[in-house]
This record gives sequence, C-alpha cells and structure tokens, in this order.
Amino acid sequence: MTGISTILRRRHLFLGAAATVLTTRFAAAADMPRLAAIDWAMLETSIALGVMPVAATELIQFRKDAIEPEIPAGVIDLGLRGTPNFELLSVIKPDLILLSPFYTRHQAALERIAPIISLPFYVKGEPPFEKACAAVSALGARLGPERDATSVLIEIESRLAEYRSGLARFARRPIYLVNVGDARHVRVFGSDSMFGDVLSRLGLRNAWPDRSRYTFAAPVPIEQLAKEEDARIVIISAIPVEARAGLRASMIWNALTPVREGRLLTLPNINPYGGVLAGLRFARLLHETLAASGEGDQ
Amino acid sequence: MMRPSLFALAGFLAAASLFLFTASAAVPISQWPTAIFSLGPARLDEIILLHGLFPRAGVALVAGAALGLSGALLQQLLRNPIADPSTLGISAGAQLAIVIATLFFPALLDGHRALVALSGAAIAALIVFALAWRTSFEPVTMVVSGMLVGVTAAALSASLTLAQGEYLMSLVTWNGGSLGQQDWSVFNALSLQLFLAMAAAAVFLRPLLILGLGDASARSLGINLRGVRLAVAVLATLLAGMVAANVGLISFVGLVAAALVRGCGVRSPLAALALSPLAGGLFLWFCDGVVQTVAGASGETFPTGSVTALAGGPLLLWLLPKVRSLQGAQRPQGSVRRINAIKGFTILATSLPFVVTIALLVGNDGHGWTLLTLQTAADLSSLRWPRLVAAAGAGGLLALTGAILQRLTGNAMASPEVIGVSGGAGLGFAFVLTLFPMSGPYSMVAGAALGGLAAISAVLAFARRQTLPSDKLLLAGIAISSLSSAVLAVLIAAGDQRAWQILAWIGGSAASVTPGMAIFLASLSIIVMMASMFLVRWLTLLPLGVTMSRSLGVPIAASRVVTLALCGLATGAASVLVGPLSFVGLIAPHIAARAGFIRARGHLAASFFLGAVIMAFADFGARTATFPYELPLGLFAAMVGAPYLIWLITRK
Repeated sequence: MTGISTILRRRHLFLGAAATVLTTRFAAAADMPRLAAIDWAMLETSIALGVMPVAATELIQFRKDAIEPEIPAGVIDLGLRGTPNFELLSVIKPDLILLSPFYTRHQAALERIAPIISLPFYVKGEPPFEKACAAVSALGARLGPERDATSVLIEIESRLAEYRSGLARFARRPIYLVNVGDARHVRVFGSDSMFGDVLSRLGLRNAWPDRSRYTFAAPVPIEQLAKEEDARIVIISAIPVEARAGLRASMIWNALTPVREGRLLTLPNINPYGGVLAGLRFARLLHETLAASGEGDQ
Repeated sequence: MMRPSLFALAGFLAAASLFLFTASAAVPISQWPTAIFSLGPARLDEIILLHGLFPRAGVALVAGAALGLSGALLQQLLRNPIADPSTLGISAGAQLAIVIATLFFPALLDGHRALVALSGAAIAALIVFALAWRTSFEPVTMVVSGMLVGVTAAALSASLTLAQGEYLMSLVTWNGGSLGQQDWSVFNALSLQLFLAMAAAAVFLRPLLILGLGDASARSLGINLRGVRLAVAVLATLLAGMVAANVGLISFVGLVAAALVRGCGVRSPLAALALSPLAGGLFLWFCDGVVQTVAGASGETFPTGSVTALAGGPLLLWLLPKVRSLQGAQRPQGSVRRINAIKGFTILATSLPFVVTIALLVGNDGHGWTLLTLQTAADLSSLRWPRLVAAAGAGGLLALTGAILQRLTGNAMASPEVIGVSGGAGLGFAFVLTLFPMSGPYSMVAGAALGGLAAISAVLAFARRQTLPSDKLLLAGIAISSLSSAVLAVLIAAGDQRAWQILAWIGGSAASVTPGMAIFLASLSIIVMMASMFLVRWLTLLPLGVTMSRSLGVPIAASRVVTLALCGLATGAASVLVGPLSFVGLIAPHIAARAGFIRARGHLAASFFLGAVIMAFADFGARTATFPYELPLGLFAAMVGAPYLIWLITRK
C-alpha cells in the first residue's frame, strides 16, 4: 500500500519488462499489430478485439482497480497515464498508439513516435456504452479485416441479453450505484457513467435522477441517497479504509431505508472509466451478486 | 457598541434565514417541533434534519468561530492585519499531512485524523515562524513565507496524488472543505476544543494585549515575551489544525472575520479579539447557507471552503493599504564573501556541459543507472533535448525573476510565485479546460498565457501608485495567487477528469514540451537575460528604498512597470509551458548572493545560470528516479528547495 513499496515494485516490475522489450518484438506473431495503450478504455477495447498491447500505462494501478481483463506480465508498463514515458515508448516503437481525447495534451508528442488513434468514450451528458462499442468497431477497422469487431459486439450483446433476462426479477426496485469516498460523501454514477448506462441496458432503473449536469460521477453528501426509499444501494469498489469506521457509525447512513432493510450490495473493484469489458464486468458482477443475495421479486 | 451589535444581528438574520430556507426544504418548518420532540422512531427526513442539517449549521458556526479566533490571535500576536491560518500556510500544512496519510497510511486516519492534521499544521507553522524569526516577524516577510510554504505544500499534495496515479475522491472533498454532517460528533468535538481554546485565550489575554503596545513596554511590565508568543502561536495553530482535521481546508475566514469586525468600527484589540469568533462563525454559516441554496436550486454541489476562499482573495487586495510593513527592519545580508566573478562564472559555465552530458547520456532502465551507448543516446536525443532545454530555460527565467524581485522589493523571500503570474496562468488554464474540454495543448497554453497577462496587468496597475511601499507589491501578487488556488481547488473538488489535468499542471512537467516550445523558451530566456542587463542601475538603487531611489533619479513608477512586465513575461512563459515550479526562483538568487555575486549585474547573471543548471538537473531526476514512472518536475524542484529552506532557518 505504501508509496515507497509501490515504487520499488514498479522498478522490480521493470526488471522483467526491460528484458522483454527486445524479445516481444520478435516473439509477436507476424500478423499481430504491436499496440501501445495510453488510455485504459482503449486498452480494454484492444484486448476485446483479441490484441494484447505490448505496452500500456499504469499497469500496477490497473491490476488493482480494474482487475479484469488480466494483463500478462510481459506487457510493458509505460508509467503514469498523465505523463507516459515517451522514451520507453520510442524504444518499443509500436505500430499504433491508442489514445482518447482526454490525452490531447500529449497527442503531438506521441504522433512523433508512432501513428495514433484517438477515440472518445466519456463525453459530458452522453451515455458511454455505445461509444465504447463504436470504439470496438473503429479500432477493429483500423487494425484490419482479420479483427472481427462485429462478432465481438454480437458476443457482448448476447452476454448482456443473458444477464438482462437473469436480472428481470429484480427490476421492480431502482438501484443507486455509488462509490464511497469518505464517511460523509459518495460518488453517484448517473446515466452518463459506464455503470449507469449498462444498468439501464440491463433493464434496471437508476435511482439517481437522469441529470447530465452530474459529470460521470459527482461527489454528493450521503443524505442525497434518501429520495428513493425502495431502492437498493450497490457499492462499487472497496470502501476506503479511512472511511469504514465513520460510515458504520453514521446516523444518516444507517437510517437510509435500503441500509436499514439490508438492501445493500457490494461489488469488487471495477474501472469506472473503462470500455466494453469494464461494462461487461459490471454487468456480470451485478448479476452474480444480486442472484446470490437471495431476494428477488418482493 | 451600537453598530457592531446591529451588524451582528443583521448577519445572524441573513445566515439564519438562509438556513431556515434550505432546512425547510427537507422538513417543512411546521413539522420541526414534532421532529425534535417526538419519541418514536424518527422518519428519515427527520433524521436528516436532526443529524444532518442542524449539526451542519452548528459545525459551520463553531468552525467559523475557531478560525476567527485563530486569525484574531495571530493578527494581534504578529501585529499583522493579514495574518490568518491560510495566509501563513498553516492550513496547507495540515492539508498536506492528510494527503500523505490518505495515500500512504490510510489506517492512521481512522481515529487519528486530528493528530495527523495537527502535526502538519504544527510543522508548517514552525517553518513559517522560524523563517520570520530573523526579521522579528515583519508582516510582509511572514505572509510571503507563509505563501511559499502553502504553495509548496499544495504542489507536494498534487505531486503525491499524481504519483499515486489515482484520483482520490476523499482527498478532493476534504481539500475543498465540505461541511456536510451525519451526526453530532464533529460538532461536539469542535465545540469542546473551541471552548478550551477560548478559556486558554482568556488566560493569555492581558499579556497579549500588552504585547500589542510594543516589546519594550511589555518587557518593562514583566511579561515573558517569548513564553506568551509561543503559547498564543500554539493556540492559534491548534485551532486551525482542529478545523482542518474535521472539515477540511477552509481559507480566509480569520481574515474576513477580522475585516468585518474592523468594518463595524471596532478599534480596541480586546473587542476585536472577542468579536472575531462571532463574526467568523456567522460568516461561515452564511457561506454555507449560500452553498446549500445554490445546491438546492441547481443540483450542483461544491464545498463551502471554496466560497470562503473566493471571498478571501479580493478582500486581501482590499486590506493591503492597511498593512504596516516595518520599513528599515534589519535585513540580514549574511556574511558577504566576495569571490572573483570570473572564477564563479567559470564554475557555473563548466557545470552546464556536465549536466547536459549526464542528461543526454545517462539513463535508468530499471536495473540501475547505465551509460547509454552513443547510438541509443542519439536515438533518444530527439526526445531528451527539448525537455532539457525547456527545463533549463524555465529554470533560468524563474531564477532571474526571483533575483530581480528580491532586489526590486528588498525582500529576501520574494520569488516568482508571489507576483501572481503563475496564479493567473492557472486561472486561464482552468478556464480553457472548463469551457473547451477537448481543445488541444495550444489553446490551453494560450489560455494560460492570457491569464498570466491579466494577472500581471492587475499587479502593474497597482505598482504604478508611487506611494506604495515596494513590498506591498508582493502582497498584491499573493492575493491573486490565493484567488487562483481557490478557483483551482473548486474545479478539483468538482470531481471530474478536469481535476486530473489541473493537478498535472500544478505538478509541472517538461515531458510534453515540443521542440518549438523548447526553442522559444530558450530564446526568450536569453532575450530576457540581456534585457535585464539594462535594468542594472535601477536594481542597484531600488533596494535602497523608494525615497532614496527617487532622489537618485530613478523613475519609481516607470521602473516598476518595466521591471515587473519583464518578470511577468518570464514567469508567464515558464509556468505556462512547464508549470508553476516553486523554489528555484527563491533559492537560486540566494545561493548566487551567498556565493559572492553581490552587484546587480553579477547577481542576475549568476542566478540565471544557476537556475538553469538546477532545473536541467531536476528534469533529469524527474525523468529517471522512478523509471518508467515520471515524477512531477515541481516535486523535484521542491525537493531541491526544502533542504535549502531548512538550512536557511537553522543557520545563525
């Protein structure tokens, strides 16, 4: 958990990574494009298309926060998303660099290293899942005919349909999707977040009103979860250690009808700014957790 | 005493009606008696009223009172009308401590939050007081030091958050100072602490008031000067730290409280001390009412701390004429050791190619430090030279600005941050980011440049007033910087991905500099360097004071405008392209002066070269120390500066 050990681990990680810089260049199959992902959503998109990038940013944090898809140890860590390591990138010499408009700051510098593709996922007020699907098609088209984006999308659609029918018996209650910040504030995922968008695609109602001025996820005081008394509260990602005791003792948190009546579910870590795979992971975990909760149409 | 009580009543009514308005939206006021006195199980909206809104109002009052008292104590103690836990860097120190704990020791915060915040506040206060010790707490130096500590703490917080590569919400809410409550525990804790602090303040009241009459008369009345000062400083720091631990960073309340009290015509120090907590409490309650009303009307939530900060910046500007700086206070020159200028420049000139060689040829591949082969170095050089040149250029520009400002104002703590240009650049940057979130790097640079220009214009307008003592120029810049950091904090607290880009800018980086920008910065630095050589006569005479300089034929207004415009250009370019790097502008001129470059010409040139060398080396460190993870350049600059600051404090 500590920064020093993180840095040590990062350095240790690079011991392996440096050795693989050269080997992966030769080991990669001839038809495999060598991609470098700066954006995490693009990383997922590329993996969904069956192409594991040779390098990606902040893999330590990715493995902790996003968990899925699993990134093999051979993938090289490019450093922070905010300041990717240009030198390492130029040594790796990828065929294509994967970006989103969020990284326009670095676009010019990256273009000097390799061609780039930048696709939008999160735009204020717009549901992101469709954009994530469009990104699968766009990247697929860029990578060539052997990447069958259409069948990937059909597969995703059928998985979602499967979860949707499994979740139909839970549709009566709306759901608050939250992420605990501190003992007094939560982040609520609205319809322009990946989770909120997928939730509605699963046929469930988001208890948080559909207001686009809430940008993806707004920190709000806990009492704002009181409006929908029938709701379920789904906490996505682990509660921060420093908030646990405070939340347990909180009068208002414990007085919220869903908390009092035990309609509180927790999901493991999911990347809130992910692509199709994060959306799918959310759908699967929500399905599993709700089914395991034993309650249903009541 | 008629006016103060009228004002207090008006303030109370305003704050209370806002409270009633927002609280009755939760539970209609007619049902309050049932909510309060009912014995049965409470409904949720009643719980929100009783355990959310009531304690929130209580916390606003108590926290505001604590900050008001803290500010009043500091102002009386330091005889400085703009002393406040936020202007003295105490709140920022507490903030940094919480950030460090959240990132590295989260378990410590569960239960020991107060301890963490208090240690941060205490360390920051210690540094600022120690820095001001040598000038016997001269007000301007004190605030400039506080700002330096505050800016550094903020840069470190941003760097650490970024280096963790994670966007932490609790950190963000905390930074902004959210007053939301879920039970009475915070109110109970804070009111007990406030009560104890007030009791302690009452004990020290008499010696503190006598202290206000001047050291000599206090000593003749048998007051233990050092003891009283220490006790009051500890008390004020404790109050600020406690508020920081419980509700986060709430700036400028002490400043506003005291200004309100004075605005009511209260002159006696005793009444000011007694009324400031009341004014502070009402002010914060009112601000919180505004925040809740806006939140109720628009659904947009933002922390209360951001509103007080927005009020504080302009107020600081308004208060400037009231600051009585102690002109003629001894300005220690240190032991002057003249060295041969040619020898000094030879040392500097040889270190430059040394750093360049290291930067281009040495790498860290994760195994350890290695010497690159010429082929690899050549391959990588196209990536390395722009950032090396940009970092060196920015370092040179900032150091030169620092040297010019220190000479212009005669204040040893002056540095580029205090003229407000980087603050203005930050505002411009944030503005572009908010309105055109998908725009490219050039429009952000343009926005930042325009912001910097606006800030320097404001400071220049101020500087044209000839009667103004020169070190008040620094305070004008500080006011703009404070306003800027408040706005940036609001945007960071808004909690979307913009926050990330703002943090990245505050952290500073030469990584995204293009060759064009690098050449521009380098050419600009040389042009500014040469232009500064024409100012040498002014900069030799201005440190002698306004009166003396004028009699020697220096056109005060013109010299200030020209010099500051040059500084603004230099700082603006550096902070827009590389980030608001702290410290190099402060320490390079100091080191140059201590090395013996006393005359203006040598001082400027040596500072310039030294700044360039320091930042070139810092960029090398930022790039390689934790390869492949890059560290913010500002972090490195601060790491170079912090030991120097400590050395500055501890030396005799």
